[in-house]
Amino acid sequence: MTTTSEVKTAQLAAIEQSGWGQPFRLVQPRNLAFWVYLLGVGGGALAVLRYFGPGAHFYSPALTGGVLLFGLYLVPWLLLLRHQNRYTAQPAALLATAFVWGGLAAPFWIALPANNALLEIWTKVGGTAFAANWSAGLTAPINEEFGKALGLVLLIGLAPRLVRGAYDGFIIGAFIGLGFQVFEDVLYVYNGAAQTFGADQITSSFQMFLIRGAAGIVSHALFSAIFCAGLMWVLGRTPGERNVPRGVLTMLTAMVFHFAWDDMGGLSGGNALLAVVLPFVIAIVELVTLFYVARHASRQERIWVRQLLQPESDAGVIDPALLAAVSGLGKDRKAFRKLVHSRSRARHLLDAAADLARELARAQGSETSEVAHARAELLRLRGGR
Amino acid sequence: MTDAAPREWVPVEHRFLGLDRRTFAPALSVLVIALLLLYGLPALNAAIPWHNEIRAGDVLDLGDGATAVPPVGWQLEGGTLAGTGSVSPSSVQVQLASGGATITLRGTSFTGTADAFLDQVQRSEGSPPGVDGSRGTVTTASGLVGVAQGSTSPNGDALDVAFKMAGASGEAEAAPALLVRVRTAPGQFERLQDTVATFLRGIAPGASR
Repeated sequence: MTTTSEVKTAQLAAIEQSGWGQPFRLVQPRNLAFWVYLLGVGGGALAVLRYFGPGAHFYSPALTGGVLLFGLYLVPWLLLLRHQNRYTAQPAALLATAFVWGGLAAPFWIALPANNALLEIWTKVGGTAFAANWSAGLTAPINEEFGKALGLVLLIGLAPRLVRGAYDGFIIGAFIGLGFQVFEDVLYVYNGAAQTFGADQITSSFQMFLIRGAAGIVSHALFSAIFCAGLMWVLGRTPGERNVPRGVLTMLTAMVFHFAWDDMGGLSGGNALLAVVLPFVIAIVELVTLFYVARHASRQERIWVRQLLQPESDAGVIDPALLAAVSGLGKDRKAFRKLVHSRSRARHLLDAAADLARELARAQGSETSEVAHARAELLRLRGGR
Repeated sequence: MTDAAPREWVPVEHRFLGLDRRTFAPALSVLVIALLLLYGLPALNAAIPWHNEIRAGDVLDLGDGATAVPPVGWQLEGGTLAGTGSVSPSSVQVQLASGGATITLRGTSFTGTADAFLDQVQRSEGSPPGVDGSRGTVTTASGLVGVAQGSTSPNGDALDVAFKMAGASGEAEAAPALLVRVRTAPGQFERLQDTVATFLRGIAPGASR
Protein backbone atom coordinates (compact mmCIF):
# COMPACT_ATOMS: atom_id res chain seq x y z
CA MET A 1 0.00 0.00 0.00
CA THR A 2 1.28 3.45 -0.86
CA THR A 3 1.47 5.90 2.04
CA THR A 4 0.74 9.62 1.83
CA SER A 5 4.40 10.49 2.34
CA GLU A 6 5.46 8.14 -0.50
CA VAL A 7 2.95 9.82 -2.81
CA LYS A 8 4.22 13.25 -1.80
CA THR A 9 7.82 12.11 -2.31
CA ALA A 10 6.94 10.84 -5.78
CA GLN A 11 5.27 14.17 -6.53
CA LEU A 12 8.35 16.13 -5.50
CA ALA A 13 10.58 13.76 -7.49
CA ALA A 14 8.42 14.27 -10.57
CA ILE A 15 8.68 18.05 -10.20
CA GLU A 16 12.44 17.82 -9.73
CA GLN A 17 13.02 15.43 -12.65
CA SER A 18 10.72 17.19 -15.11
CA GLY A 19 11.97 20.66 -14.25
CA TRP A 20 8.43 21.85 -14.81
CA GLY A 21 7.76 25.29 -13.41
CA GLN A 22 11.35 26.44 -13.85
CA PRO A 23 11.58 29.84 -15.53
CA PHE A 24 13.37 30.21 -18.86
CA ARG A 25 15.67 33.11 -19.62
CA LEU A 26 17.49 33.41 -22.91
CA VAL A 27 19.90 36.14 -21.85
CA GLN A 28 22.52 34.35 -19.72
CA PRO A 29 25.86 36.13 -20.22
CA ARG A 30 27.75 33.48 -18.20
CA ASN A 31 26.40 30.65 -20.31
CA LEU A 32 28.48 29.83 -23.41
CA ALA A 33 25.40 28.33 -25.07
CA PHE A 34 23.85 31.81 -25.05
CA TRP A 35 26.81 33.25 -27.01
CA VAL A 36 26.81 30.38 -29.52
CA TYR A 37 23.06 30.90 -29.95
CA LEU A 38 23.66 34.60 -30.61
CA LEU A 39 26.42 33.75 -33.09
CA GLY A 40 24.14 31.37 -35.00
CA VAL A 41 21.10 33.63 -35.08
CA GLY A 42 23.24 36.70 -35.82
CA GLY A 43 25.02 34.84 -38.61
CA GLY A 44 21.66 33.74 -39.98
CA ALA A 45 20.25 37.27 -39.87
CA LEU A 46 23.30 38.61 -41.73
CA ALA A 47 22.95 35.87 -44.34
CA VAL A 48 19.28 36.82 -44.79
CA LEU A 49 20.27 40.43 -45.44
CA ARG A 50 22.96 39.37 -47.91
CA TYR A 51 20.60 36.98 -49.70
CA PHE A 52 17.48 39.12 -49.96
CA GLY A 53 19.05 42.58 -49.74
CA PRO A 54 20.21 43.17 -53.34
CA GLY A 55 16.92 42.09 -54.93
CA ALA A 56 14.57 43.12 -52.12
CA HIS A 57 13.26 46.18 -53.96
CA PHE A 58 12.65 44.53 -57.33
CA TYR A 59 11.22 41.36 -55.80
CA SER A 60 9.19 43.16 -53.11
CA PRO A 61 5.78 41.99 -54.49
CA ALA A 62 6.89 38.36 -54.22
CA LEU A 63 8.59 38.86 -50.85
CA THR A 64 5.61 40.72 -49.40
CA GLY A 65 3.23 38.08 -50.73
CA GLY A 66 5.41 35.29 -49.34
CA VAL A 67 5.74 36.87 -45.90
CA LEU A 68 2.00 37.59 -45.67
CA LEU A 69 0.85 34.20 -46.95
CA PHE A 70 3.26 32.16 -44.86
CA GLY A 71 2.64 34.45 -41.87
CA LEU A 72 -1.03 33.47 -42.07
CA TYR A 73 -0.02 29.84 -42.66
CA LEU A 74 1.87 29.97 -39.38
CA VAL A 75 -1.25 30.67 -37.31
CA PRO A 76 -2.95 27.23 -37.53
CA TRP A 77 0.46 25.60 -37.05
CA LEU A 78 1.06 27.52 -33.83
CA LEU A 79 -2.42 26.63 -32.58
CA LEU A 80 -1.80 22.96 -33.37
CA LEU A 81 1.60 22.88 -31.68
CA ARG A 82 0.30 24.82 -28.69
CA HIS A 83 -2.30 22.10 -28.30
CA GLN A 84 0.41 19.42 -28.46
CA ASN A 85 2.54 21.25 -25.87
CA ARG A 86 0.79 19.37 -23.08
CA TYR A 87 1.86 17.36 -20.01
CA THR A 88 4.85 19.24 -18.50
CA ALA A 89 4.44 22.04 -21.05
CA GLN A 90 7.42 24.10 -22.19
CA PRO A 91 7.32 27.88 -21.63
CA ALA A 92 6.46 30.05 -24.62
CA ALA A 93 9.79 31.94 -24.44
CA LEU A 94 11.75 28.71 -24.82
CA LEU A 95 9.63 27.62 -27.79
CA ALA A 96 10.06 31.07 -29.38
CA THR A 97 13.83 30.71 -28.92
CA ALA A 98 13.64 27.35 -30.69
CA PHE A 99 11.56 28.83 -33.52
CA VAL A 100 14.06 31.63 -34.12
CA TRP A 101 16.98 29.17 -34.28
CA GLY A 102 14.97 27.13 -36.78
CA GLY A 103 14.13 30.21 -38.84
CA LEU A 104 17.46 32.01 -38.97
CA ALA A 105 20.44 29.98 -37.78
CA ALA A 106 19.61 26.53 -39.15
CA PRO A 107 18.66 27.51 -42.73
CA PHE A 108 20.73 30.62 -43.36
CA TRP A 109 23.80 30.25 -41.16
CA ILE A 110 24.29 26.50 -41.62
CA ALA A 111 22.18 24.89 -44.35
CA LEU A 112 22.62 27.43 -47.14
CA PRO A 113 26.45 27.24 -47.42
CA ALA A 114 26.63 23.59 -46.36
CA ASN A 115 23.97 22.51 -48.87
CA ASN A 116 25.62 24.38 -51.74
CA ALA A 117 28.92 22.63 -51.01
CA LEU A 118 27.49 19.14 -50.57
CA LEU A 119 25.24 19.41 -53.64
CA GLU A 120 28.31 20.26 -55.71
CA ILE A 121 30.28 17.41 -54.13
CA TRP A 122 27.58 14.92 -55.21
CA THR A 123 27.65 16.38 -58.73
CA LYS A 124 31.42 16.00 -58.89
CA VAL A 125 31.36 12.47 -57.48
CA GLY A 126 28.33 11.06 -59.28
CA GLY A 127 27.85 13.27 -62.32
CA THR A 128 25.02 15.62 -63.21
CA ALA A 129 22.41 12.92 -63.95
CA PHE A 130 22.99 11.27 -60.56
CA ALA A 131 22.92 14.67 -58.87
CA ALA A 132 19.63 15.62 -60.54
CA ASN A 133 17.94 12.54 -59.09
CA TRP A 134 19.61 12.06 -55.72
CA SER A 135 21.75 14.99 -54.55
CA ALA A 136 18.98 16.90 -52.77
CA GLY A 137 17.98 13.87 -50.72
CA LEU A 138 21.58 13.05 -49.89
CA THR A 139 22.26 16.62 -48.77
CA ALA A 140 19.35 18.20 -46.91
CA PRO A 141 18.66 15.35 -44.45
CA ILE A 142 22.25 15.61 -43.22
CA ASN A 143 22.83 19.37 -43.12
CA GLU A 144 19.33 20.47 -42.25
CA GLU A 145 18.38 17.85 -39.67
CA PHE A 146 21.65 18.32 -37.78
CA GLY A 147 21.51 22.10 -38.24
CA LYS A 148 18.06 22.21 -36.68
CA ALA A 149 18.89 19.74 -33.89
CA LEU A 150 21.83 21.92 -32.83
CA GLY A 151 19.18 24.36 -31.60
CA LEU A 152 17.87 21.67 -29.25
CA VAL A 153 21.38 21.02 -27.91
CA LEU A 154 21.80 24.75 -27.24
CA LEU A 155 18.48 24.83 -25.42
CA ILE A 156 19.70 21.96 -23.25
CA GLY A 157 22.65 24.21 -22.41
CA LEU A 158 20.38 27.18 -21.77
CA ALA A 159 17.69 25.33 -19.82
CA PRO A 160 19.14 22.02 -18.62
CA ARG A 161 16.37 21.46 -16.09
CA LEU A 162 13.56 22.23 -18.52
CA VAL A 163 14.70 20.14 -21.48
CA ARG A 164 14.68 16.65 -20.02
CA GLY A 165 12.56 14.06 -21.76
CA ALA A 166 11.99 12.79 -25.29
CA TYR A 167 8.66 14.64 -25.46
CA ASP A 168 10.53 17.89 -24.76
CA GLY A 169 12.68 17.06 -27.79
CA PHE A 170 9.56 16.27 -29.79
CA ILE A 171 7.85 19.62 -29.05
CA ILE A 172 11.00 21.76 -29.26
CA GLY A 173 11.98 19.97 -32.48
CA ALA A 174 8.56 20.72 -33.95
CA PHE A 175 8.99 24.43 -33.20
CA ILE A 176 12.53 24.51 -34.63
CA GLY A 177 11.25 22.68 -37.72
CA LEU A 178 8.32 25.06 -38.07
CA GLY A 179 10.67 28.06 -37.98
CA PHE A 180 12.88 26.42 -40.60
CA GLN A 181 9.90 25.56 -42.78
CA VAL A 182 8.31 29.01 -42.81
CA PHE A 183 11.57 30.89 -43.44
CA GLU A 184 12.55 28.40 -46.13
CA ASP A 185 9.13 28.82 -47.73
CA VAL A 186 9.73 32.58 -48.03
CA LEU A 187 13.13 31.78 -49.55
CA TYR A 188 11.43 29.51 -52.10
CA VAL A 189 8.95 32.26 -52.98
CA TYR A 190 11.87 34.61 -53.61
CA ASN A 191 13.75 32.00 -55.65
CA GLY A 192 10.59 31.22 -57.62
CA ALA A 193 10.24 34.88 -58.55
CA ALA A 194 13.94 35.10 -59.40
CA GLN A 195 13.60 32.02 -61.63
CA THR A 196 11.21 34.00 -63.85
CA PHE A 197 13.32 37.17 -63.46
CA GLY A 198 10.47 38.85 -61.60
CA ALA A 199 7.77 38.39 -64.24
CA ASP A 200 4.30 38.00 -62.68
CA GLN A 201 5.57 37.82 -59.11
CA ILE A 202 2.19 37.67 -57.36
CA THR A 203 1.12 34.60 -59.35
CA SER A 204 4.44 32.85 -58.79
CA SER A 205 4.35 33.56 -55.03
CA PHE A 206 0.79 32.27 -54.77
CA GLN A 207 1.70 29.11 -56.71
CA MET A 208 4.67 28.56 -54.41
CA PHE A 209 2.42 29.08 -51.38
CA LEU A 210 0.03 26.38 -52.55
CA ILE A 211 2.80 23.88 -53.33
CA ARG A 212 4.93 24.48 -50.26
CA GLY A 213 1.95 24.95 -47.96
CA ALA A 214 0.52 21.55 -48.88
CA ALA A 215 3.90 19.80 -48.71
CA GLY A 216 4.63 21.55 -45.42
CA ILE A 217 2.04 19.46 -43.58
CA VAL A 218 4.49 16.56 -43.56
CA SER A 219 7.75 18.46 -43.80
CA HIS A 220 10.28 20.12 -41.49
CA ALA A 221 8.12 20.38 -38.34
CA LEU A 222 7.45 16.65 -38.57
CA PHE A 223 11.04 15.68 -39.48
CA SER A 224 12.50 17.68 -36.60
CA ALA A 225 9.94 16.54 -34.03
CA ILE A 226 10.90 12.93 -34.80
CA PHE A 227 14.65 13.65 -35.11
CA CYS A 228 14.84 15.63 -31.86
CA ALA A 229 12.81 13.04 -29.92
CA GLY A 230 15.38 10.47 -31.13
CA LEU A 231 18.24 12.74 -30.08
CA MET A 232 16.77 12.98 -26.57
CA TRP A 233 16.60 9.18 -26.37
CA VAL A 234 20.27 9.06 -27.34
CA LEU A 235 21.22 11.71 -24.77
CA GLY A 236 18.99 10.14 -22.08
CA ARG A 237 18.58 13.12 -19.77
CA THR A 238 15.89 11.46 -17.67
CA PRO A 239 16.61 8.43 -15.45
CA GLY A 240 15.73 5.27 -17.37
CA GLU A 241 14.91 7.02 -20.63
CA ARG A 242 18.25 6.53 -22.40
CA ASN A 243 17.87 4.16 -25.35
CA VAL A 244 20.60 4.69 -27.93
CA PRO A 245 19.41 2.13 -30.54
CA ARG A 246 15.88 3.52 -30.43
CA GLY A 247 17.19 7.07 -30.55
CA VAL A 248 19.49 6.46 -33.51
CA LEU A 249 16.78 4.55 -35.36
CA THR A 250 14.32 7.40 -34.78
CA MET A 251 16.81 10.00 -36.01
CA LEU A 252 17.55 7.88 -39.10
CA THR A 253 13.82 7.50 -39.74
CA ALA A 254 13.42 11.29 -39.83
CA MET A 255 16.37 11.53 -42.22
CA VAL A 256 14.92 8.82 -44.49
CA PHE A 257 11.59 10.67 -44.60
CA HIS A 258 13.43 13.85 -45.52
CA PHE A 259 15.39 11.96 -48.19
CA ALA A 260 12.22 10.42 -49.63
CA TRP A 261 10.49 13.79 -49.80
CA ASP A 262 13.43 15.51 -51.49
CA ASP A 263 14.17 12.71 -53.97
CA MET A 264 10.62 11.86 -54.95
CA GLY A 265 11.57 12.24 -58.63
CA GLY A 266 14.43 9.77 -58.33
CA LEU A 267 12.35 7.30 -56.32
CA SER A 268 9.49 7.34 -58.81
CA GLY A 269 12.00 6.61 -61.57
CA GLY A 270 10.09 8.54 -64.22
CA ASN A 271 6.89 6.52 -63.62
CA ALA A 272 4.08 9.10 -63.82
CA LEU A 273 1.62 7.08 -61.71
CA LEU A 274 4.21 6.46 -59.02
CA ALA A 275 5.12 10.15 -59.01
CA VAL A 276 1.48 10.98 -58.18
CA VAL A 277 0.91 8.20 -55.62
CA LEU A 278 4.26 8.26 -53.81
CA PRO A 279 3.82 11.61 -51.99
CA PHE A 280 0.56 10.41 -50.44
CA VAL A 281 2.04 7.05 -49.41
CA ILE A 282 5.07 8.72 -47.84
CA ALA A 283 2.84 11.28 -46.09
CA ILE A 284 0.71 8.51 -44.53
CA VAL A 285 3.78 6.58 -43.36
CA GLU A 286 5.23 9.80 -41.91
CA LEU A 287 2.05 10.65 -39.98
CA VAL A 288 1.69 7.13 -38.56
CA THR A 289 5.33 7.26 -37.45
CA LEU A 290 4.84 10.72 -35.96
CA PHE A 291 1.98 9.53 -33.74
CA TYR A 292 3.93 6.41 -32.76
CA VAL A 293 6.97 8.50 -31.73
CA ALA A 294 4.80 11.05 -29.89
CA ARG A 295 3.09 8.27 -27.96
CA HIS A 296 6.38 6.68 -26.86
CA ALA A 297 8.12 10.00 -26.24
CA SER A 298 5.33 11.18 -23.94
CA ARG A 299 5.46 8.07 -21.71
CA GLN A 300 7.72 9.64 -19.08
CA GLU A 301 5.82 12.93 -19.14
CA ARG A 302 2.55 11.14 -18.52
CA ILE A 303 4.09 9.35 -15.54
CA TRP A 304 5.28 12.70 -14.16
CA VAL A 305 1.85 14.30 -14.51
CA ARG A 306 0.25 11.32 -12.80
CA GLN A 307 2.75 11.48 -9.92
CA LEU A 308 2.30 15.23 -9.68
CA LEU A 309 -1.47 15.01 -9.36
CA GLN A 310 -1.69 11.77 -7.37
CA PRO A 311 -1.85 13.58 -3.98
CA GLU A 312 -4.75 15.65 -5.35
CA SER A 313 -6.45 12.47 -6.52
CA ASP A 314 -5.96 10.87 -3.09
CA ALA A 315 -7.45 14.00 -1.53
CA GLY A 316 -10.49 13.72 -3.81
CA VAL A 317 -9.80 16.92 -5.77
CA ILE A 318 -9.37 14.95 -9.01
CA ASP A 319 -11.32 11.80 -9.73
CA PRO A 320 -9.51 8.79 -11.24
CA ALA A 321 -11.10 9.24 -14.68
CA LEU A 322 -9.90 12.84 -14.91
CA LEU A 323 -6.45 11.87 -13.67
CA ALA A 324 -6.27 9.15 -16.33
CA ALA A 325 -7.33 11.64 -19.01
CA VAL A 326 -5.01 14.49 -18.06
CA SER A 327 -2.04 12.13 -17.81
CA GLY A 328 -3.10 9.90 -20.68
CA LEU A 329 -3.19 9.60 -24.44
CA GLY A 330 -5.76 10.75 -26.96
CA LYS A 331 -7.86 7.62 -26.37
CA ASP A 332 -7.99 8.38 -22.62
CA ARG A 333 -9.17 11.92 -23.28
CA LYS A 334 -11.74 10.59 -25.72
CA ALA A 335 -13.00 8.11 -23.12
CA PHE A 336 -13.25 10.96 -20.62
CA ARG A 337 -15.28 13.06 -23.07
CA LYS A 338 -17.68 10.15 -23.44
CA LEU A 339 -17.88 9.74 -19.68
CA VAL A 340 -18.87 13.35 -18.99
CA HIS A 341 -21.14 13.49 -22.08
CA SER A 342 -19.91 16.96 -23.00
CA ARG A 343 -16.94 17.94 -25.12
CA SER A 344 -16.68 21.45 -23.68
CA ARG A 345 -17.08 20.32 -20.07
CA ALA A 346 -14.44 17.63 -20.58
CA ARG A 347 -12.09 20.23 -22.09
CA HIS A 348 -12.66 22.64 -19.20
CA LEU A 349 -11.99 19.94 -16.62
CA LEU A 350 -8.84 18.81 -18.45
CA ASP A 351 -7.58 22.39 -18.69
CA ALA A 352 -8.33 23.03 -15.02
CA ALA A 353 -6.51 19.84 -13.98
CA ALA A 354 -3.54 20.84 -16.15
CA ASP A 355 -3.60 24.31 -14.52
CA LEU A 356 -3.46 22.71 -11.08
CA ALA A 357 -0.55 20.49 -12.14
CA ARG A 358 1.31 23.51 -13.50
CA GLU A 359 0.75 25.58 -10.37
CA LEU A 360 1.88 22.68 -8.18
CA ALA A 361 5.05 22.40 -10.28
CA ARG A 362 5.69 26.16 -10.09
CA ALA A 363 5.19 26.05 -6.32
CA GLN A 364 7.56 23.08 -6.11
CA GLY A 365 4.82 21.02 -4.47
CA SER A 366 4.09 23.47 -1.67
CA GLU A 367 0.87 25.28 -0.92
CA THR A 368 0.60 28.74 -2.44
CA SER A 369 -2.34 30.99 -3.15
CA GLU A 370 -2.03 30.07 -6.86
CA VAL A 371 -2.25 26.36 -6.06
CA ALA A 372 -5.22 26.97 -3.79
CA HIS A 373 -6.94 29.00 -6.53
CA ALA A 374 -6.28 26.39 -9.22
CA ARG A 375 -7.64 23.69 -6.91
CA ALA A 376 -10.72 25.79 -6.08
CA GLU A 377 -11.33 26.35 -9.79
CA LEU A 378 -11.16 22.63 -10.49
CA LEU A 379 -13.55 21.90 -7.60
CA ARG A 380 -15.90 24.62 -8.86
CA LEU A 381 -15.97 23.05 -12.32
CA ARG A 382 -16.46 19.57 -10.90
CA GLY A 383 -19.31 20.82 -8.75
CA GLY A 384 -21.00 22.31 -11.77
CA ARG A 385 -21.82 18.94 -13.34
CA MET B 1 21.79 26.06 6.52
CA THR B 2 22.90 28.41 3.70
CA ASP B 3 20.76 30.82 1.70
CA ALA B 4 19.84 29.82 -1.86
CA ALA B 5 22.38 31.07 -4.44
CA PRO B 6 21.29 34.13 -6.42
CA ARG B 7 20.42 33.63 -10.07
CA GLU B 8 23.41 33.55 -12.42
CA TRP B 9 25.71 32.74 -9.51
CA VAL B 10 28.49 30.48 -10.72
CA PRO B 11 30.52 28.67 -8.05
CA VAL B 12 34.19 29.67 -8.28
CA GLU B 13 35.37 26.17 -9.16
CA HIS B 14 33.14 26.22 -12.27
CA ARG B 15 34.24 29.61 -13.60
CA PHE B 16 36.45 30.17 -16.64
CA LEU B 17 36.89 33.70 -17.99
CA GLY B 18 33.66 34.66 -16.28
CA LEU B 19 31.73 31.86 -17.98
CA ASP B 20 30.20 28.79 -16.40
CA ARG B 21 32.34 25.83 -17.47
CA ARG B 22 29.37 23.49 -17.03
CA THR B 23 27.79 25.09 -20.11
CA PHE B 24 30.80 24.38 -22.31
CA ALA B 25 29.90 20.82 -23.37
CA PRO B 26 26.64 21.60 -25.22
CA ALA B 27 27.86 24.96 -26.53
CA LEU B 28 31.17 23.66 -27.88
CA SER B 29 29.53 20.55 -29.38
CA VAL B 30 27.18 22.81 -31.33
CA LEU B 31 29.98 25.13 -32.38
CA VAL B 32 32.18 22.27 -33.64
CA ILE B 33 29.39 20.59 -35.63
CA ALA B 34 28.19 23.93 -37.05
CA LEU B 35 31.71 24.90 -38.13
CA LEU B 36 32.23 21.47 -39.70
CA LEU B 37 29.09 21.92 -41.78
CA LEU B 38 29.79 25.59 -42.50
CA TYR B 39 33.47 25.42 -43.42
CA GLY B 40 34.34 21.70 -43.56
CA LEU B 41 32.00 20.87 -46.43
CA PRO B 42 33.00 23.87 -48.59
CA ALA B 43 36.67 23.01 -47.93
CA LEU B 44 36.07 19.40 -48.96
CA ASN B 45 34.22 20.61 -52.04
CA ALA B 46 37.10 22.89 -52.98
CA ALA B 47 39.51 19.96 -52.66
CA ILE B 48 37.56 17.75 -55.10
CA PRO B 49 38.22 18.56 -58.76
CA TRP B 50 35.63 18.39 -61.52
CA HIS B 51 35.67 15.29 -63.71
CA ASN B 52 32.57 15.88 -65.83
CA GLU B 53 34.35 16.76 -69.05
CA ILE B 54 32.22 17.14 -72.16
CA ARG B 55 33.14 14.52 -74.72
CA ALA B 56 32.63 14.58 -78.47
CA GLY B 57 29.05 13.69 -79.29
CA ASP B 58 27.56 14.87 -75.97
CA VAL B 59 24.33 16.82 -76.35
CA LEU B 60 22.61 18.92 -73.69
CA ASP B 61 18.94 18.26 -72.98
CA LEU B 62 17.04 21.57 -72.74
CA GLY B 63 13.64 19.94 -72.30
CA ASP B 64 10.82 18.92 -74.65
CA GLY B 65 13.29 17.89 -77.36
CA ALA B 66 15.28 21.14 -77.34
CA THR B 67 19.03 20.58 -77.38
CA ALA B 68 22.42 22.29 -77.45
CA VAL B 69 25.85 20.97 -78.31
CA PRO B 70 28.33 21.86 -75.55
CA PRO B 71 31.97 22.61 -76.38
CA VAL B 72 34.19 19.54 -76.05
CA GLY B 73 36.59 19.66 -73.11
CA TRP B 74 34.51 22.01 -70.98
CA GLN B 75 33.34 20.82 -67.56
CA LEU B 76 29.64 20.17 -67.14
CA GLU B 77 28.96 21.50 -63.63
CA GLY B 78 25.19 21.44 -63.86
CA GLY B 79 22.57 20.28 -66.32
CA THR B 80 21.47 17.10 -68.02
CA LEU B 81 22.88 15.40 -71.07
CA ALA B 82 20.38 14.02 -73.58
CA GLY B 83 19.37 10.46 -72.74
CA THR B 84 20.29 10.65 -69.05
CA GLY B 85 17.13 12.13 -67.52
CA SER B 86 14.15 14.35 -68.07
CA VAL B 87 14.17 18.14 -67.98
CA SER B 88 11.45 20.77 -68.01
CA PRO B 89 12.19 23.60 -70.47
CA SER B 90 10.95 26.18 -67.96
CA SER B 91 13.40 25.10 -65.27
CA VAL B 92 16.51 24.21 -67.27
CA GLN B 93 19.75 25.06 -65.48
CA VAL B 94 23.03 24.30 -67.20
CA GLN B 95 26.50 25.38 -66.21
CA LEU B 96 29.60 24.83 -68.31
CA ALA B 97 33.05 25.99 -67.24
CA SER B 98 36.51 26.11 -68.72
CA GLY B 99 39.54 27.99 -67.47
CA GLY B 100 37.62 30.68 -65.61
CA ALA B 101 35.04 31.18 -68.36
CA THR B 102 31.47 30.02 -67.86
CA ILE B 103 28.44 29.46 -70.04
CA THR B 104 25.15 29.17 -68.18
CA LEU B 105 21.73 28.41 -69.58
CA ARG B 106 18.52 29.17 -67.72
CA GLY B 107 15.09 28.24 -68.94
CA THR B 108 11.96 29.92 -67.65
CA SER B 109 8.39 30.64 -68.61
CA PHE B 110 7.89 34.10 -70.10
CA THR B 111 5.13 35.56 -72.23
CA GLY B 112 6.54 37.95 -74.81
CA THR B 113 9.34 38.28 -77.30
CA ALA B 114 13.01 37.42 -76.80
CA ASP B 115 13.77 41.14 -76.76
CA ALA B 116 11.18 41.75 -74.00
CA PHE B 117 12.61 38.80 -72.09
CA LEU B 118 16.10 40.31 -72.17
CA ASP B 119 14.59 43.61 -70.94
CA GLN B 120 12.97 41.74 -68.04
CA VAL B 121 16.28 40.03 -67.14
CA GLN B 122 18.10 43.36 -67.11
CA ARG B 123 15.37 45.05 -65.06
CA SER B 124 15.57 42.28 -62.46
CA GLU B 125 19.32 42.69 -62.07
CA GLY B 126 19.59 46.46 -62.14
CA SER B 127 22.43 48.16 -63.99
CA PRO B 128 25.83 46.69 -63.12
CA PRO B 129 28.83 48.98 -63.72
CA GLY B 130 30.27 48.56 -67.18
CA VAL B 131 29.77 49.44 -70.82
CA ASP B 132 26.91 47.75 -72.63
CA GLY B 133 27.05 47.09 -76.33
CA SER B 134 24.08 47.45 -78.62
CA ARG B 135 21.69 44.57 -79.14
CA GLY B 136 22.14 42.27 -82.07
CA THR B 137 20.41 39.28 -83.61
CA VAL B 138 21.68 35.71 -83.31
CA THR B 139 20.35 33.04 -85.63
CA THR B 140 21.06 29.40 -84.88
CA ALA B 141 21.57 26.63 -87.43
CA SER B 142 18.00 25.45 -86.81
CA GLY B 143 16.62 28.90 -87.58
CA LEU B 144 15.98 29.93 -83.97
CA VAL B 145 16.34 33.69 -83.60
CA GLY B 146 17.71 35.24 -80.42
CA VAL B 147 18.63 38.68 -79.12
CA ALA B 148 22.18 39.20 -77.89
CA GLN B 149 23.82 41.93 -75.89
CA GLY B 150 27.44 42.09 -74.81
CA SER B 151 29.02 44.19 -72.10
CA THR B 152 32.40 44.74 -70.57
CA SER B 153 33.37 45.82 -67.08
CA PRO B 154 36.40 45.70 -64.77
CA ASN B 155 35.09 42.32 -63.58
CA GLY B 156 35.15 40.77 -67.02
CA ASP B 157 33.37 40.41 -70.33
CA ALA B 158 29.80 39.24 -70.63
CA LEU B 159 27.36 38.19 -73.32
CA ASP B 160 23.65 37.57 -72.71
CA VAL B 161 21.53 35.95 -75.40
CA ALA B 162 17.78 35.54 -75.03
CA PHE B 163 15.73 33.02 -77.03
CA LYS B 164 12.10 32.05 -77.19
CA MET B 165 12.25 28.30 -77.76
CA ALA B 166 9.46 28.01 -80.33
CA GLY B 167 9.76 25.68 -83.29
CA ALA B 168 8.49 26.53 -86.74
CA SER B 169 4.89 25.66 -85.86
CA GLY B 170 4.92 27.02 -82.30
CA GLU B 171 3.64 30.24 -80.74
CA ALA B 172 6.76 32.33 -80.04
CA GLU B 173 5.06 34.57 -77.44
CA ALA B 174 3.97 31.70 -75.19
CA ALA B 175 7.03 29.48 -75.70
CA PRO B 176 9.52 28.97 -72.86
CA ALA B 177 12.38 31.44 -72.74
CA LEU B 178 16.04 30.53 -72.60
CA LEU B 179 18.80 32.82 -71.38
CA VAL B 180 22.37 31.99 -72.35
CA ARG B 181 25.05 33.85 -70.40
CA VAL B 182 28.73 33.82 -71.17
CA ARG B 183 31.18 35.23 -68.64
CA THR B 184 34.92 35.52 -69.05
CA ALA B 185 37.83 37.28 -67.38
CA PRO B 186 38.56 40.80 -68.70
CA GLY B 187 39.83 40.68 -72.28
CA GLN B 188 39.32 36.92 -72.63
CA PHE B 189 36.10 36.91 -74.63
CA GLU B 190 37.79 37.25 -78.00
CA ARG B 191 39.75 34.07 -77.40
CA LEU B 192 36.47 32.17 -76.88
CA GLN B 193 34.44 33.92 -79.55
CA ASP B 194 34.46 31.01 -82.01
CA THR B 195 33.60 28.48 -79.30
CA VAL B 196 30.70 30.62 -78.10
CA ALA B 197 29.46 31.26 -81.66
CA THR B 198 29.52 27.53 -82.43
CA PHE B 199 27.69 26.78 -79.21
CA LEU B 200 24.98 29.35 -79.93
CA ARG B 201 24.54 28.08 -83.49
CA GLY B 202 23.95 24.56 -82.10
CA ILE B 203 20.95 25.49 -79.94
CA ALA B 204 17.85 23.85 -81.38
CA PRO B 205 14.21 24.03 -80.24
CA GLY B 206 12.16 20.87 -79.80
CA ALA B 207 10.74 19.42 -82.98
CA SER B 208 7.26 19.29 -81.47
CA ARG B 209 6.99 23.03 -80.92
